[in-house]
Amino acid sequence: MKNRIKIERAILNITQEELAEKTNVSRQSINAVESGKYVPSTILALKIAQVFGKNVNEVFELDENDWK
Amino acid sequence: MKLKYLFPNYFKTIGMILFIPSVILGLIYLINQPEPDFLNIRVFAILYTDFLIDPSFFAITDTNAFDEIVGLVLMISLIFIAFSKEPFEDEFISRIRLESLVRATYFNYVILFLTIIFVYGHAFYWIMVINMFSILIFFIIRFNWIIYKEKKSVAT
Repeated sequence: MKNRIKIERAILNITQEELAEKTNVSRQSINAVESGKYVPSTILALKIAQVFGKNVNEVFELDENDWK
Repeated sequence: MKLKYLFPNYFKTIGMILFIPSVILGLIYLINQPEPDFLNIRVFAILYTDFLIDPSFFAITDTNAFDEIVGLVLMISLIFIAFSKEPFEDEFISRIRLESLVRATYFNYVILFLTIIFVYGHAFYWIMVINMFSILIFFIIRFNWIIYKEKKSVAT
């Protein structure tokens, strides 16, 4: 799964730490989601999208590997 | 997914405080099985067996409680250390926890398989004694190692 968290963070000018606080998870979790190492739960994905004021599929996108 | 049935974070500290004396006494027990007099007690046993006598059920017997106490305290301390919440327990930490538990279980059984094949005689009894604790120890090491690595990767 691809994500645009880094870009959206840059637009809002917030750090991983601030995004973590707003979504009530640890900074490690945001870091792991952003780097594509961890696929978040639907709830966390929705929260992240809401912080950015976007739909969830504007922030997260399936890639080919997700269909394998 | 947040895991239920975890202890509050401060149980980890309690676990560590219990762990230090119990692991020292446990190692002493591995070396020379001390039986201090004041721990000679009469106990109720659901099952009691000994060489040359028939097994007895629901019996009263005499024992030295050193190994029972040390074993129980060591187990409790390891469970507290293993299953206390992290300061920030969220879904990512829960996944690391689950993964570590699976890996620790596999690792523990690989070791056990090898010892079944390669260790014989009375030594195998001691392998079984250690095996009562090893799965939790493997889990604690693996889980904390990954948490440490994640923290470090965030810091850089």
